[in-house]
Amino acid sequence: MMKFLYSLNNIWNYVIIFSFSVIALLLIYPLFSIFFSSFIDNESGLFTLQNYSDILGRRYYRTAIYNSIVVGIAGMVGALIIGIPLAYFTTRYQIKGKSLITTLAILALVSPPFIGAYAWITMLGSNGWLRHLLQNFGIFIPTIYGPFGIVLVFSLKFYPFVFLLTSGALSTINVSLEDAADNLGCNPFTKFIRVTLPLVFPAVSAGALLAFVLSLADFGTPSIIGRNYKVLSTLAYNLYTSEMGGNPGLASTVSIILIFISLIFVYFQRRLNKRKDYGSSLLNRPTVKKLKKIYSIPVHFLCYFLVLFSSIPSIVVIFNSFRNTSGPVFKPGFGIDSYRRIIGDVPDAIFNSFMFSIASVAMVVVLGTLIGYVIARKQSFVTDILDSMIMIPYIVPGIVLGLGLIVSYNSKPLVLVGTPLIIILAIFIRRLPYSVRSSSSILKQIRTGVEEAAINLGTIPSKAFLKITLPLMMPGVIAGALMAFVTAINELSSSIILYVGGTVTMPVRIYLSVLDGEFGTAAALSSILLITTGLAVYAVLSISESKENAFL
Amino acid sequence: MSSVTLINIFKNYGQTKALHDINLEIKSGELFTLLGPSGCGKTTLLRTIAGFHKQDSGSIKIDGKIIDHLPAYRRDTGMVFQDYAIFPHMTVGDNVSFGLKNKNVSAKETKELVTEALATVRLLGLEKRMPNELSGGQQQRVGLARAMVIKPKVLLMDEPLSNLDAKLRIELREDIREIQKKLKITTIYVTHDQEEALVISDRICIMNSGEVAQVDTPWKVYKDPKKYFVASFVGSMNFLKWSLISWDQKEKVLVENKFKDSYENSNDFNDEDLMIGIRPEDIVIRRKSIKEENDNIILPGFIEKISYSGREAVYHVRVNDDVRLLVNIYCPDELSIDEIGSQVELEISKNSMMLFNKKSGLRCY
Repeated sequence: MMKFLYSLNNIWNYVIIFSFSVIALLLIYPLFSIFFSSFIDNESGLFTLQNYSDILGRRYYRTAIYNSIVVGIAGMVGALIIGIPLAYFTTRYQIKGKSLITTLAILALVSPPFIGAYAWITMLGSNGWLRHLLQNFGIFIPTIYGPFGIVLVFSLKFYPFVFLLTSGALSTINVSLEDAADNLGCNPFTKFIRVTLPLVFPAVSAGALLAFVLSLADFGTPSIIGRNYKVLSTLAYNLYTSEMGGNPGLASTVSIILIFISLIFVYFQRRLNKRKDYGSSLLNRPTVKKLKKIYSIPVHFLCYFLVLFSSIPSIVVIFNSFRNTSGPVFKPGFGIDSYRRIIGDVPDAIFNSFMFSIASVAMVVVLGTLIGYVIARKQSFVTDILDSMIMIPYIVPGIVLGLGLIVSYNSKPLVLVGTPLIIILAIFIRRLPYSVRSSSSILKQIRTGVEEAAINLGTIPSKAFLKITLPLMMPGVIAGALMAFVTAINELSSSIILYVGGTVTMPVRIYLSVLDGEFGTAAALSSILLITTGLAVYAVLSISESKENAFL
Repeated sequence: MSSVTLINIFKNYGQTKALHDINLEIKSGELFTLLGPSGCGKTTLLRTIAGFHKQDSGSIKIDGKIIDHLPAYRRDTGMVFQDYAIFPHMTVGDNVSFGLKNKNVSAKETKELVTEALATVRLLGLEKRMPNELSGGQQQRVGLARAMVIKPKVLLMDEPLSNLDAKLRIELREDIREIQKKLKITTIYVTHDQEEALVISDRICIMNSGEVAQVDTPWKVYKDPKKYFVASFVGSMNFLKWSLISWDQKEKVLVENKFKDSYENSNDFNDEDLMIGIRPEDIVIRRKSIKEENDNIILPGFIEKISYSGREAVYHVRVNDDVRLLVNIYCPDELSIDEIGSQVELEISKNSMMLFNKKSGLRCY
């Protein structure tokens, strides 16, 4: 009894209870609703397995499953092919302008993938200027539409995960192990394959998993550049919003299959990495070597080519935004017509985007910091459960979460569908894990002793947190908030399901403009997004000490 | 000036006995050390007194008043941490005044007290510095000033010197000792370094696997260990089997009777368990055999190894295949440290021998 009363006194227990309630309402209940609805017949409302037998039985649906896995794996492989060499060269050799390479990779990481897809279309689509240009020289290349385009965008978008995680691991492994391999007669290539790569495998596979899961979940890219190439995320969207009357049952079934595929990959990544914690070395770190002259030029060329190639879409979009347009056709001449048009036509999208992002980020930061603290410092069976539940949003595609929220909150007692709140809540729960991760990892660098010292000197624990730990966490919390803001303002996949006329956001507007062939509007809105994102990234880079880690 | 009383403290972590029936009486103004190997429970005990852990059962009293129900921030103990735990975002002055603000001490008085405390730890004039501008030794002085400025009932020190290099460690431990004596502040000091414990303490509590092995003054702990563990942990000690030496019948009966008492069940008697302990400095070593009329033990052997450390040398003398004894020589001369392989004779007085029951861990004589 005393123990129970004592536990009520502890403010952190309220944080834990509140966190579980939030997760239950915004995550568990919606996912359960989808799960439930996948077993319901669309017309009769009765229990059925028909949805599953339809999806797994009909060729059309089966193709979408197959396609999703193919582009997911291909996108992941592309990310590995770009990310690993880039990581190796930049961590082990003196590359001029290394921070520029990192910055460009970070920009590629945070800019929304659908903007990349759209930019490639303006270059290599049916009316693409680059295609026309090349045609004038007698070079005919096929359009970018279809799986190739999707994989290209995914590879260029998700390689930074592999690059940043692998760089971190490569620059902290114990170099004696590599020296031992040398000493035992390994040639450099064998050494890399047999010693270095296995040592950084946990980091590489974590990056690869992120690339795969995010490729699988992405909606904008396959929808814009995929044309008739159906994947699960576009299928779920179409099934739900079909003009012939949506089929929530089938859409839910597709969602469950999406989550299931992600889970399988998460499971295998975990299994492969079981007992593979090699630790890192603080003292015996690899030295950065000078490249021999003959290698220097090709290596520099390769590194810069990779990062510049991945930033082409951003440059093209900003360039396009100043061109004169008429629908999907770019006219000669430059001007700010596109910007004038968006301010006249869609000011609400810009306003909404900023309002929703700021609101959700405020919530994310407060709760994320508190949960991060509870997980890092109040370790118990209960907080371990909280820790694993908070990771659920990583594997739930935005489209699926959006569907879940609609299914859950479109009837009394709580009708949220159509309100700004539901979009804010969707962004909030999707970004919460990132904030929790970043705050708990900052806490690992702050010694617990300082807070105990404050308590020992007569400070109440909650005040000790506010006066000692929170100020020390602050740089990390601000960096985390800016990153949450970047991802929030670029959110498309849940908003596309949840928006109504009055709650349209910039990414949704860009998506609709691209579909309507309003390329000028799309370019101007995309530029605003890119520049906002760039400024936020600049702010993060200037306040955080370990630059790359702030973005993961 | 406060006393601390621990009554029947138990604490388990799952199956592990972290603290097992701890009963201690720490006197007012005393520097009391908890000494033991890592994992013996000494830090757990200290943190339980500070209120960071809660004991499963038993009571803690300060000045006779039970404090079990008080949370850590109301226990009025000042703690000095192993990793200093200096607030890195505050100046030295703000660190030291931190606890005073919690006690609503006036600004003027705070300033005086902080100046006084910094003067005591010889850091006067560094109030405005940030912790990262200080060396490890200076940071720990700030930690000490911060803990003692609030005039806590008890000062708790958790291996405060273990992150410092050897020279600083000695310098700071002398300072701690002096300050503690000057302020007469009751102090509980945790360390795994037996030499540090002997130098600094009024009394030492040696702990092993969550239990108290012996509580005594430094001199008693070294000269009169009550347990096999204490004898082997504090200082160095030669152990050899009782049966190795020939005893006359009278001695044998006398010892065996005492020895039998040291078992829980006297039927467990096995003379293989009986060990003789001799301090290396209690053995006389000589090159040539001298016949003397006394009943000292004489053992022949040869020098296998010599560890020379300036003020003294330790000879490792091989007596037979199983027995190698350490012998301390003070102020060795140049020739004597170059005698590996030479035959020697060891003489041990029976008065300097301690007898232990290795199985029960108790001292028999």
